[in-house]
Amino acid sequence: MRTERWLIGLGKAVAVAAILFWSLFPILFIAMSSLKPGQDIFAVPPKWLFAPTFKHYVELWRSWGVFFDGLLNSLLITIGATLLAIVASACAGYVYSRHSGRVLGASLLGLIIVRLIPPIVVTLPLFPIVNALGLSDTHLVLILLYATFFVSLGTVLMRTFMDQIPRELDEAASMDGASRMTILRKVIAPLAMPGVLAVAVFVIVFSWNEFLFAFIFTATKAKTAPLVISEMIGSIDGVDWGILFAASTVQLVPVLIFVVFMNRYLVAGLTAGSTKG
Amino acid sequence: MLFQRTARILPLLAPVHLLILSVIVLPSLYVVWLSLNVSSFGLAPRFVGLQNYWRVLTDPAFHSALWNTVVLVIVAVHLELAVGLGMALLFASGLPFRRFLLVAVLAPYAVSEVTAVVMWRFLFDPDAGPITLALRALSLPTLDWSFEPSHAMILIGLLTIWLHLPFTFVIVYAARLAIPAELYEAARIDGATRWQAFRRVTLPLLGPAMLIALLFRYIFAFRLFSEAWLLTKGGPARSTEVVAIYLYQEAFSFNAFGSAAATAWIMVLASLLLAGAYVFLLRRGGMAHAH
Repeated sequence: MRTERWLIGLGKAVAVAAILFWSLFPILFIAMSSLKPGQDIFAVPPKWLFAPTFKHYVELWRSWGVFFDGLLNSLLITIGATLLAIVASACAGYVYSRHSGRVLGASLLGLIIVRLIPPIVVTLPLFPIVNALGLSDTHLVLILLYATFFVSLGTVLMRTFMDQIPRELDEAASMDGASRMTILRKVIAPLAMPGVLAVAVFVIVFSWNEFLFAFIFTATKAKTAPLVISEMIGSIDGVDWGILFAASTVQLVPVLIFVVFMNRYLVAGLTAGSTKG
Repeated sequence: MLFQRTARILPLLAPVHLLILSVIVLPSLYVVWLSLNVSSFGLAPRFVGLQNYWRVLTDPAFHSALWNTVVLVIVAVHLELAVGLGMALLFASGLPFRRFLLVAVLAPYAVSEVTAVVMWRFLFDPDAGPITLALRALSLPTLDWSFEPSHAMILIGLLTIWLHLPFTFVIVYAARLAIPAELYEAARIDGATRWQAFRRVTLPLLGPAMLIALLFRYIFAFRLFSEAWLLTKGGPARSTEVVAIYLYQEAFSFNAFGSAAATAWIMVLASLLLAGAYVFLLRRGGMAHAH
């Protein structure tokens, strides 16, 4: 009996070690390699002890200024898409939470079905339209695309979270003469904060990391950080792995820290979004 | 009364529905029209009926892309579900530092496809990649992904599992935590072994959640583009193309919008079909297959 328990403990420890290795090793390895002096990156066997240097970051700053423009573009687009997606989803989610009816039910089902359409499908017709409207290579087109591909999930999530807020609060505020918009802003939104944050995690991570739309709809002015990194990979013969690791680390660290701090909302959003959506 | 209510809620609904209508629904319907015409840059479209669909469905390059995608979806998604299930059960069996471990498991969710490609490309670099070196030191076969198409597909599969395991894990784990402990207590009192408790309690109750995770992952893996594009661009010689890359090449490399649109609708129909099958399974009880 005791050996059995001991064996189970050992088995679990091995499993946990394997999970940690799988999840964290790729991330830690490139972050570590970004600090290695050039020749140590390719050392066989890999070097685990080395004198850390910021040389690659300095080179990145010097020779890939376009990467930092990309980071700024990513930031602006992420903020825009997140605000748009949250405001739109909160408004619609509020309606779906407080009202019902055949038309409303059908339109909610429509929102869910829309999620089945692969993003690459809409690039075909949108590509010429975006060009004709002069929106190609602008922040606006990515903001609209990113927000739109999350408002259906966002609406469903907001509805789920708002369903937990008692209707008596709406009624009390409305007796006091508050308008629907005021009720939503002053009463519901503060209480629905966990839902807002869950939607925010999804949209922020997606907008910051997205590749396909940025690849198709931007060229120079609105190029995002992932796209610049992909160009670095593309020039793999000429590129310095050290600079590539530095750029990847810079792109990854902010969103990684964000996800670590928001992990509760991410889990809540994933579970609510998939079971109710 | 009804009119008044509509007037009050319509402004709140408008932003979401206008965005979806103008960015997703109308363009998708326009794709249907595109798929029934032959068109290219600067040429007037010409109606050809289902010819584009016929062309795509008989194109050997499409067959190869479809085959790659289907194998990738079936192998990667089921492997991912099996690992996710195992991890969920491990977490539920009680672990020290559970919050920290949970955050560690979620970490890849934050990683972009581009950065993940940088990582995995280097880990499996034929000359200096630490995984390649470790495999070689253990005299195990290495992945020659840069010229061996099947090896490249394996790497794409590993990459996509790595990126999406957090999703699958969270869905299954949350469902596992929702199973009341009394059920296991009752099973134990009835003399059930661990295996029996797993077969008769855990699996049936996790059934719906696993189905949901599968459905979402099928649909998302079927549209996979970035991982494959960034790793191989579909090469060498179109051998690692997936359906989304085939579509992209038709549209943006060959300017064949008609067949690209037909491919797009084949993708949409496949997703709808999958979702339809899921709803059917759910209606029928969903977990019957677990017994």
